[in-house]
Amino acid sequence: MTDQPAATHERRILGTELLWAFGVGVLVAAVLGMIVFTALTIDINPPSNVERIDPKTLHLSGEFAEQNLGTTVGADGRVTVRAIATQFMFVPHCIAVPQERLVTLRFTTPDVIHGLLITGTNVNTMVVPGFVAQVYTTFTRTGDLLMPCHEYCGLGHSDMWATVQVMPDSDFKPDRDGRVSCAQR
Amino acid sequence: MSDTDHPSAAASPSDIADDVDEAALARVLRVVPLGAAVVAGTTVALLVIGYLAIYLLIFLPRGAVG
Repeated sequence: MTDQPAATHERRILGTELLWAFGVGVLVAAVLGMIVFTALTIDINPPSNVERIDPKTLHLSGEFAEQNLGTTVGADGRVTVRAIATQFMFVPHCIAVPQERLVTLRFTTPDVIHGLLITGTNVNTMVVPGFVAQVYTTFTRTGDLLMPCHEYCGLGHSDMWATVQVMPDSDFKPDRDGRVSCAQR
Repeated sequence: MSDTDHPSAAASPSDIADDVDEAALARVLRVVPLGAAVVAGTTVALLVIGYLAIYLLIFLPRGAVG
């Protein structure tokens, strides 16, 4: 084996590094391409709602007043859930939603930063004082899903959770005010 | 080996670097990029496979969200 000059070694190493950089570039492009493709074709996007609300007065009137919390079916059939995340509970504690229908989830908080996810779904958002967090999704399976706070919010954080009760559309019957509550079991 | 054999600022003879055989070093360095590429490539491949498995088998079947 003859020894190659140093310049040849340098070129070989540079070639390896360029090949590696090209491979990484392809991977990054592929991952970004997948994200863009799924966003355009099956509408999977990060929650990006920016909507302000006064955390000091949200409980007094408007859509997050106590009587408006929970699940509502509008005249056009749209299902909207409104809930408040507060130290250390979600109000309401149980949220009823229908299976295989688009549901809009709206959350806000009067105190500190919270977060939530719904197990078995892609619902995952922060709940920041002063803003309304909005996520929409379709629940595909019936059953009770756990919805814990996933952003440390104080000493009672681990006790802060709620239940999302996904019911068959045939059982999802709004009352005359268009409201739906969890079935009592 | 005595201290006088290798005049050096090092306090101990064991801290004195060995002589470098430049030819042997060049031979080794010729193979090193390939070994590094194999190790790094395997690591990244495992990471990408894990990412794709979670993305395709768990994330996408959970459906649309936005």
